[in-house]
Amino acid sequence: MNKLLSLLFLLLITGTTWGQPKGYSTVKNMQEFQTAMAKANATLQTIASDFNQIKNLSLLSDKIKSKGKFYFKKEDKVRIEYTSPYTYLLVMNGVQVMVKDEQKTSKINARGNKAMQSVNRIMIDCMRGTVLSNPDFKPAVFENTNSFMLALTPVTPEMKKMFRQIDVYLNKKSFEVTRLTMAEQGGDFTDMNFINTQRNTTVNESLFKVR
Amino acid sequence: MKVYLRLGSLFFLFAFFSCANPYKHLQQSKSASPSAMMFKPQYDKVLYRCVVNGRVAFKKFHLSGLLFFKQLPDSTTRAVFQNEMGFNFFDFEWSKTDSFQVNKIIDQLNKPALIKVLEKDMNLLLMKNIHPETETVFKQNGQTYYRFSLDKGVAYYIAKDKTLSSIENAGKTKVITISMGEKRQKNDMPISVLFNHHKANFRIQLTKIDTDVDE
Repeated sequence: MNKLLSLLFLLLITGTTWGQPKGYSTVKNMQEFQTAMAKANATLQTIASDFNQIKNLSLLSDKIKSKGKFYFKKEDKVRIEYTSPYTYLLVMNGVQVMVKDEQKTSKINARGNKAMQSVNRIMIDCMRGTVLSNPDFKPAVFENTNSFMLALTPVTPEMKKMFRQIDVYLNKKSFEVTRLTMAEQGGDFTDMNFINTQRNTTVNESLFKVR
Repeated sequence: MKVYLRLGSLFFLFAFFSCANPYKHLQQSKSASPSAMMFKPQYDKVLYRCVVNGRVAFKKFHLSGLLFFKQLPDSTTRAVFQNEMGFNFFDFEWSKTDSFQVNKIIDQLNKPALIKVLEKDMNLLLMKNIHPETETVFKQNGQTYYRFSLDKGVAYYIAKDKTLSSIENAGKTKVITISMGEKRQKNDMPISVLFNHHKANFRIQLTKIDTDVDE
């Protein structure tokens, strides 16, 4: 009986740490975290940043690298511009989405496309700090000395098909997004690292024009 | 009325000749030639920028992404197609014996006919499921045509000056034409590839990306 209780106790202890990322501990005071994040993002109007993207193909032990420019303008405008090794542009402006590759520009209205709406919203929510209230994901918040990590587990069937988990890493002082990791069901994941980030710099409205 | 009849006859002649077998004038080569299997691509991994353009029932479609080929140490081959943001669309695998399987495909692309077309395209490019014992060599206008029998139709590997320039899949007429760009070595993967599906009415354009895959 004692052995059984010990085993149950062990399982309970280890169970509490299973979902915890290495080097991070669970944020104890969620209210405090949410207040601090809301305060930091209240003054946020724009973000301009460079990014490096690494796609990790787990079974093939390979990484595909790309880089580009990222822009955000409150409330709901995002521009992701890949510059190397290929050119590709994604602009989200409300429900309007534009994608442009080397050959063609396509405009899409996300209103009738639930999956696209969800992807659109998660990207915007990450940037403006409203990700904890996103209904498509169940969040868990962790911290270490330098950063917060928001682990987002999909709850809707559309998002479950696309992602196993999305991790958003925030600078602990400024609450800037420094890294975004999108893990797929098969084990592959895409890592976006944001560098040279400028907050509230002038970002021309024309960058978000969906033509 | 006569004018209509003449126009009708012209149209018939045009249709007849455009559907006629384009390979019927090929002369079988009498001299011994090395097999086209010398062109079978040898690579560790190769990354392509991929753009697809087509038309279904008068509606145009366009898709772009990255196509990654890798040969693994156990002699299996993988082809992974992902969008620019890194999301995988499909992951195909060929065993050591060229047996094909789909490891992953998104619902939107998970159509048996489409998978079959993509498998055939990649089989032709990578020279998988090509049976050397069915090879016949023809010559025409300075070009060498290496013909292989497939389960359905034939495949021509067309070379000029010992360089593979195109691959054609045909039944009674051409079904797929694959135009190959420059190769650094005889059996490298080409710098660019254009798949033109004459019946299915779509084109796949691949352009090699050299430097951005690491282990």
